[in-house]
Amino acid sequence: MVTSAPKTGPAPFAAAKAKVLGCDRCGTCLPACPLFQVQDVERASARGKNALVRGLAEGLIPPDREAQEALEFCLLCRACTDACPGKVPTDEAMVQVRQALADTLGSTPLRSRWIGRVLRRRRLVGLGAATLAGLRVAELHRLLPPQLVPRETSRRAYLKKHAGPALLGASAPRPEPAVHPGAKVAYFQGCGMKMLFPDASRSTQRILAQLSPFQQPDHPCCGLPHLAHGQREAFLDLARENIQAFEDADLVVTDCASCSGSLKHLTSWFAEDPIWRGPAERFSAKVMDLTEYLVAAGYQPQRLPDATFTYHDPCHLARGQGIRQQPRQLLKQAGKLIELAEKERCCGGSGSFHLEHPEAAAAILQRKQANIEGTGAQVVVTACPGCLIQLTRAADQSEGAFQAMHISQVI
Amino acid sequence: MTSLTTLEPLVLDGFREAVGREHVIESPLEVFGYSYDASFLALDRSTVPQAVVRPRTTQEISRVMAFAHQQRIPVTPRGAASGRTGGSVPLEGGIVLALDRMTSILELDTANMMVSAEPGVRTADLHDHCARQGLFFPPDPGSWKFSTLGGNVAENAGGMRAVKYGVTRDYVMGLEVVLADGSILETGGKAVKNVTGYDLTSLFVGSEGTLGIVSKALFRLRPLPKARGVIRVIFRTMDEACSAVQEMLLDGVTPSAAEIMDATCLEAVARARNTRVEPGAGACLILEIDGDGASSLEAQSLRIDTITRQAGCITFRSAASKEETEAIWAERRGLSSAVAAMAPNRLGEDISVPRSAFPEVVRRINAIASTTKLRIPVFGHAGDGNLHPSVLCDLGNPDEAARAHQAVDGIFKAALDLGGTLSGEHGIGISKRPYFADAVGPVSLATHRAIKGALDPLGLLNPGKIW
Repeated sequence: MVTSAPKTGPAPFAAAKAKVLGCDRCGTCLPACPLFQVQDVERASARGKNALVRGLAEGLIPPDREAQEALEFCLLCRACTDACPGKVPTDEAMVQVRQALADTLGSTPLRSRWIGRVLRRRRLVGLGAATLAGLRVAELHRLLPPQLVPRETSRRAYLKKHAGPALLGASAPRPEPAVHPGAKVAYFQGCGMKMLFPDASRSTQRILAQLSPFQQPDHPCCGLPHLAHGQREAFLDLARENIQAFEDADLVVTDCASCSGSLKHLTSWFAEDPIWRGPAERFSAKVMDLTEYLVAAGYQPQRLPDATFTYHDPCHLARGQGIRQQPRQLLKQAGKLIELAEKERCCGGSGSFHLEHPEAAAAILQRKQANIEGTGAQVVVTACPGCLIQLTRAADQSEGAFQAMHISQVI
Repeated sequence: MTSLTTLEPLVLDGFREAVGREHVIESPLEVFGYSYDASFLALDRSTVPQAVVRPRTTQEISRVMAFAHQQRIPVTPRGAASGRTGGSVPLEGGIVLALDRMTSILELDTANMMVSAEPGVRTADLHDHCARQGLFFPPDPGSWKFSTLGGNVAENAGGMRAVKYGVTRDYVMGLEVVLADGSILETGGKAVKNVTGYDLTSLFVGSEGTLGIVSKALFRLRPLPKARGVIRVIFRTMDEACSAVQEMLLDGVTPSAAEIMDATCLEAVARARNTRVEPGAGACLILEIDGDGASSLEAQSLRIDTITRQAGCITFRSAASKEETEAIWAERRGLSSAVAAMAPNRLGEDISVPRSAFPEVVRRINAIASTTKLRIPVFGHAGDGNLHPSVLCDLGNPDEAARAHQAVDGIFKAALDLGGTLSGEHGIGISKRPYFADAVGPVSLATHRAIKGALDPLGLLNPGKIW
């Protein structure tokens, strides 16, 4: 039992194994992993999942449904990578191993396959958005489970509550954009914003319009849900469509942290593709998160002196893109910001994770809710529809202690 | 002894009865997660346990042990599996007894300055719990944020503060231990002076889970130092840095940590942090001092300044702010991974020598590096003679792998030649087992075996470890 040379294993898992080679199983990730807090068994931790990847690659673990389920049980929140002394990219390994397992066993679970199919079709997304809008008008959306159709708080309701009607419709000052003066700005409206948070999406558009005229090309999903569930080809198809759809734009601004995160990182997926490498690189270079763009463009939010906020950092924005200061800067200009304990801890949303693992997601959210309530803030603000689904749910559970809103609704 | 097949359903039922059905893990995929620790051992099918049993109370441990004893099933205790020598890796199948559900801090006795806790409590959590009452639990293994107390006791964990405050052993006042047959033994207690019989407490500290299962530990505490400061000093050579530490201790200035790193470590850190090494730098000391307040720190800092100057330091930096303190410590904390990033594989070792032999053992390690044509950066705790040479290699290359193992052999030999020992703080476990008999000699080995035979006659507890 002396240390032996690393074995090479079943080929499909080689790419994932290469990502976890730096894991020396020290355990630093254990207290960082939100799922390990919920299920304190090795399989649930980042270290455990990295070991499973090696186990698969070295033929010690059979590539079966159980392995697939274990590896689907990851939020891809990168908290482990952040804590890891060797910065092992467990989230990237999970994406790769899920792909390898999906290639072997077929995609799972059923729900994500279904979601993947819907999100691939622009018409279905549009239809979904229209249906939900109709349901909202008729107040019938309350009949559906809140995980599927979160109860969105409208900006109108927010202003009514916190500032009074006098401020409704007041326009923010219009500074000259500091970035790319005269740049052609395009809005990337992610599926989550379009279908689940139309009021927040309208707020984003209103803000963008205050700064400069912007385009809104017809475009499909960013493809992250597909990538996360082993549907690489679908992801690549969608990426190519998006690259083309935004060819004319100089800046692609999105108000979804997951969309901006995945769109900014298209380059690596096309690194070996002589045709798409260049366009992917150019496209990724022009993607900006809404808050990143607003701060760079010198946007001045309306100040509502009575409003108190706390801010939840979306994993894909803070750890994924290093965007932490911009949302805070905007919020401090708009009202009083009270920092949240464990502000960067995942809320448990993570794409469709909350649908597939409702109990684990609820347990993670419980801690988030307690932290939010601890601030005493009236509004918890975030910058990702995935998080907003969860936070809206926490707001419901808090029975009015706080509201949950997208940042574009409060600035 | 049970072979490496699935446990009989009836046997599993016995464990389920002892701890509750949901606390016995038996799926092959799940138990795989209990086949490794933080050592450099490769993942291996032969170290996958047959089941994982997770008790919540001493009584449950006792029932599990009595049943395992009756059924002749090997038991490997496990906390957070953050050990570096394979101590919690099950070598002969059977069950892993995971103590990670036993996470209660039972009593903080401020009058006697003692705390008792269950084995699954994380080291940092105990530290923080005591610190809130102004009390100090000094042992701080590098893994303190996630390592657990049971493992610390079983491995006699060390840490950076050992130079001033000692190691885990120096804080254990008493233990509750479940023996191999399920009987419950209590040792020690709150009386500071205690010469009633053999020192059974010490017998179990560092016994690596081979003599019993620690189900509760009583630790003594100190008052929490009111102020802390950090100093970073660069020297031309390791000799200069070591002699500076000697002089400090002789002078009565005892830093609470005296971490040393050689030129290769400095290079690794600089590379990882995208900075540059000071010209001529051959060694770095990171010192932590503590005391009653700013004036005490200033006095110590001045003494250290004078002593390091005399020893020939190139630069001396005393952290003036919290940020600077953090920046200096970050250099030390990131060291291990920065060094690991220099090669495909790293065999990180843990030897300990008398403090005076520190420069000589470093010289010998450098010689081994040059003979085996491998890079072996050295860092460690200069204040207590415990060092961590890291053999950098590519184990995928058979020739290099052979040279790496030759280097490890040479490092252990050098430590023993200089009156040192195989392990300062990580224990023997599996990875140092081949060197144990030579290190302790035949009489000690026989004594170890006699003790093991008396307490665990069937050899079921953590089999295959230490020797």
